[in-house]
Amino acid sequence: MMAGTSEILLVDDNPADLDLTIDALAQSSWPSRVNTVSDGAEAIAYLRHEGIYSTASRPHLILLDLNLPRKDGRAVLADVKTDPSLRRIPVVIFSTSQAAKDIERSYELGANSYVSKPPTLGEWVSAVKLMKDFWIGCACLPREEQND
Amino acid sequence: MSATATVRQHENPSAAIKPQLRVLLVEDNPGDRDLILQELGKGEFDVISDVVQTAEEFRQRMKTNIPDVVLADYNLGQWRGMEALEILRSEGLDIPLILVSGAMGAVTAVECLKQGVTDYVLKDSLSRLSVALRGALKDKEARQERNRNQQALAGKVEELARSNADLEQFAYVASHDLQEPLRMVSAYTQLLAERYRGKLDEQADKYISYAVDGAARMQSLIQDLLAFSRVGRQETALKITDCNEIVGESMRDLQAAILESRASVTHGALPRVMASGTQLKQVFQNLIGNALKFRRSDPPVIHISAERKGPDWIFSVADNGIGISAEHAESIFVIFNRLHTRTEYPGNGIGLAISKKIIERHGGTIQALPNPVGGTIFRFTLPAGKMAKKQDPA
Repeated sequence: MMAGTSEILLVDDNPADLDLTIDALAQSSWPSRVNTVSDGAEAIAYLRHEGIYSTASRPHLILLDLNLPRKDGRAVLADVKTDPSLRRIPVVIFSTSQAAKDIERSYELGANSYVSKPPTLGEWVSAVKLMKDFWIGCACLPREEQND
Repeated sequence: MSATATVRQHENPSAAIKPQLRVLLVEDNPGDRDLILQELGKGEFDVISDVVQTAEEFRQRMKTNIPDVVLADYNLGQWRGMEALEILRSEGLDIPLILVSGAMGAVTAVECLKQGVTDYVLKDSLSRLSVALRGALKDKEARQERNRNQQALAGKVEELARSNADLEQFAYVASHDLQEPLRMVSAYTQLLAERYRGKLDEQADKYISYAVDGAARMQSLIQDLLAFSRVGRQETALKITDCNEIVGESMRDLQAAILESRASVTHGALPRVMASGTQLKQVFQNLIGNALKFRRSDPPVIHISAERKGPDWIFSVADNGIGISAEHAESIFVIFNRLHTRTEYPGNGIGLAISKKIIERHGGTIQALPNPVGGTIFRFTLPAGKMAKKQDPA
């Protein structure tokens, strides 16, 4: 469980879904700061502090959509989970897809969980709240990997 | 009398103009050759003939100039008439071959016919040649006609399968891709409804509630369309399936509805069939579920039974519900077809469409019949297959 304000990174190209998720995250009582990027390449730049993201903070949780422009969510996931300095960050896939192959592939690549975007507002809000309450309020999170 | 004779002549112009026939004679004996050619000239055909002697010549001819009929001597010194048949086959040619032979025993003749020779004519009764030719041509025409029909049918079947597959793929992709924008509409109209109810005016609240309802209904239709197309996309792995267990599971899943309606659901001894258990359960669930839903005021009485008829098992799900008039007995199986308003009976009209698709994929048929004691009987067939005898329930 997180002491202080947690950083959450949302990666999604649909602004309506982003707004809905931000709204739902705000309904959980754990203090958090939400940052958003709208494609996979931006997500990697954000995480590696590149370009305009040089001062970006390291997220405690990433919600990652699968179908993204420029760099696919699967490729982002693969990059994060093979990068020694990023692989400890919990990544929750949050995608419309319910296809078995997407779910299986995501776990193979090291996703920490897979949540398919619910069809109704009520389910959406409760799914996002559950995710945040669990990862920020309940789970023990690792420290950043040190090069020692 | 003379008038009739004139008419006849008009009716049969072929008496005047002989049909053309290209005959290839495979004969190495010049005497026999001349006799056969002479005989051919007498018949009802305008014969264009040609002669080859060796197998090589024959093979060459079959690549360049293909005749209507081959007349081959049974015994050609260097080779045999039957080898000509093999050459025709290897070239993929469907040309009648008539054997001409000096002497041929009945056993040999039958053997040759079995192997595919169209007919045989003995050299001392060459007058039979024209009969043999006519028969051979008729045979060939009939065979070609049959082939054409078979090809046309196979083409249609393939076309139909392809268009069905396309349609299923289309339904899947369309419904899949429709979900995301629709979710936006649905979520944001719900958000509007939650946060702005009472803050605009009464009209606005009403409009928003219409939009919310419409989006919700659209979502459930799309879910159903996906479920429907999934039946067609899934591999149906057939396993030995005990229908008693399947019906039992369906009843457990429907327990709440059964208790709520105080229904009596019973079944007789049911067979084991080759089926996809999951899909068959879906069928029973849909049919029992329908019987529970479309009930009269008194508690539903539902009975499931099966009887063997020829190669099939016939399953019946009989109820005492509101019944289905004969004019709707077929349309109820069409996707999204409903006979009642949503307020009378909720639902999208997907259950029977899915059931029909499942049964048809299992090689059966399904129909709705009036129950003589009131209500409806849904009757469907499943092939009994090779495991039929052992699993007779009785």
